[in-house]
Amino acid sequence: MIHLLEDTINGVLMGSIYGLAALGLTLIFGVLKVINFAHGSLLMVGMYAAYWAVLLTGVHPYLALVFVLPLMFAFGYLLQAVVIQPIFKAEREVREPITVIIVTTGVWYILDNLALLVFGPQYRNIQDNPLRGRMIEAGEMLISVPKLWGFCAAVATAALIWLFLQKTRMGRAVRATSLDRDAASLQGINPYKIYNIAFGLGTAVAGVAGVALVPFYNIFPTVGVLFDIKCFIIVVLGGLGSIGGALLGGMIIGVIESVGPQFMTATWTEAIVYGLFLGFLFLRPSGLFGVKYDW
Amino acid sequence: MNASTVTRQPASGRPVLLRWAPLLLLLAFAFALPLVVRSATYLHILILLLLYAYLTTSWNLVGGFAGVLPLGHAAFVGIGAYTSTVLSLQYGLSPWIGMILGGMISTIVGVLIGLPTFKMRGAYFALATIAFAEGLRVMVENLDRLGPFRLNGPRGLQIPPLEVGFGRLMFAEKEPYYYIILTMLVLAVGITWAVSRSKLGYCLAAGGEEPEAAQSLGINVARLKLIAMAISSFLTSLAGTFWAQFTLYIHPKSVMSLDISFEIAFIALIGGRGSIAGPLLGALLLRPVSDFSRIHFGDTLPGLHLVIFGVVLILVMLYQPRGLQEPLTRLYRRGMQRLFGTGEGG
Repeated sequence: MIHLLEDTINGVLMGSIYGLAALGLTLIFGVLKVINFAHGSLLMVGMYAAYWAVLLTGVHPYLALVFVLPLMFAFGYLLQAVVIQPIFKAEREVREPITVIIVTTGVWYILDNLALLVFGPQYRNIQDNPLRGRMIEAGEMLISVPKLWGFCAAVATAALIWLFLQKTRMGRAVRATSLDRDAASLQGINPYKIYNIAFGLGTAVAGVAGVALVPFYNIFPTVGVLFDIKCFIIVVLGGLGSIGGALLGGMIIGVIESVGPQFMTATWTEAIVYGLFLGFLFLRPSGLFGVKYDW
Repeated sequence: MNASTVTRQPASGRPVLLRWAPLLLLLAFAFALPLVVRSATYLHILILLLLYAYLTTSWNLVGGFAGVLPLGHAAFVGIGAYTSTVLSLQYGLSPWIGMILGGMISTIVGVLIGLPTFKMRGAYFALATIAFAEGLRVMVENLDRLGPFRLNGPRGLQIPPLEVGFGRLMFAEKEPYYYIILTMLVLAVGITWAVSRSKLGYCLAAGGEEPEAAQSLGINVARLKLIAMAISSFLTSLAGTFWAQFTLYIHPKSVMSLDISFEIAFIALIGGRGSIAGPLLGALLLRPVSDFSRIHFGDTLPGLHLVIFGVVLILVMLYQPRGLQEPLTRLYRRGMQRLFGTGEGG
């Protein structure tokens, strides 16, 4: 019983980091109405950026955020401005251009394989960092410290994004564009600039997730693929575009992954997650918190 | 949907034979190629090229004509490969029969998947097909047996090369494989051609471009998409059996991986989806790039060909969204017109 509780807690913690990774995806979808297939690869870029920042400067793994955050924001901003924007301009009438899926898939392949070319296929991790393998003992339970910090980062990031969207002038412009691109542009909002900012923010959030993962997770060129599909599943579970939904969806997946092995072979949990995802797609495509209109 | 491939040429103009001559020449060239190419390596590359051209042509029936983006066709490859292999290993059934049975299973599965998913919009459909294919792969990886059938989980199935011959779909040389996959490709292209000129093809194109408008004209878009999906999954599955018999070893990561699904879609999109020539052109351009970069740079620059694929894909989507077949078709038509006078309007 105590093991079940321990697994559930660790599942929620790990799941919140999945949710953090999916947060950027849901943010980008909410505004641009497209699914960014390269999101896992952006997370991978964030992890490598954090890894090298720690390795080269020797700072505490979480302080790498200072480098990673602006870098990732700029990267996402430019990616949208240079690669994705032309398609939006070409397919102006289409509400949800399928071409963007294709182009972001191209970005995914380029980034993953460039990482393979540059960094090689080996698994990397930050060996001597103060967080690796650290556990808190709570009664008989062991709780991973870096995952606990990841949980805090996820909740804090979600809260900050919510505040940004609700309370700032820019956030209001982002929401307006999300609701109705044309009406927003009639109010003097440049929708393409909002897209750039939303994409940059989503990428920066992927960077936060990367920093949260780096102290205890292996880094390799295809690490994004693991998260890519998980992120798709999470955002559909939680409802595309919903910030709270992304966190909750992530926690559900995390709990299934960590509690599941108590009852079945560990690899079966993956099949359960896919089954759950398909079930949601068929029966309730708007997810837990999504808006019906958006599917 | 490319209108130029659909419009019927006027019967007048140059003689029928001349109109078909380039196609017949191409076919004769393809059939004569193994007489010139004797190297087993190059034949292997050519066979894979034809296999991917075939897979992409099959995919194109849904991904091109029906205007959706399926990203899970590896599932049907896997079903085809596993059905024929299991039946031939355990019951000694000829892979040809297993091929047809696998195709029938894939058709049923394809329709069952299509029923709920075709109602979804763009991204959701793509995600659902990915999840389905990946879910199936994970399941096969976890199953040592499925009822009486042995699947061997992640270790996969090896086909012992005991009986060689046409009936067993197993040969010591590469040439027979080449001719079989070439014949399959010709048939698939023929089916695509027939579909594109049938009422089904026109209605699919209409439904793919303007679903609401097509529906208001009384076209049952969802049902037509299901028919296209049924044909597509059947054809795709046959390639799975061929693949298994060609490599003699299958495992979930080899015949059901996400990479296959994506490579098929890439080839179609770069070549030009919704056209007959697109998948062929795409395979012709991309497969050699991938094979040669794997042979020559596999150790020093792994993944180079995928970077190239990605860059080409993005450039094509930005500057030639109907694929590379469009400018080439235009060039070809202009050349034909210059050669045979201006009898044909277009």
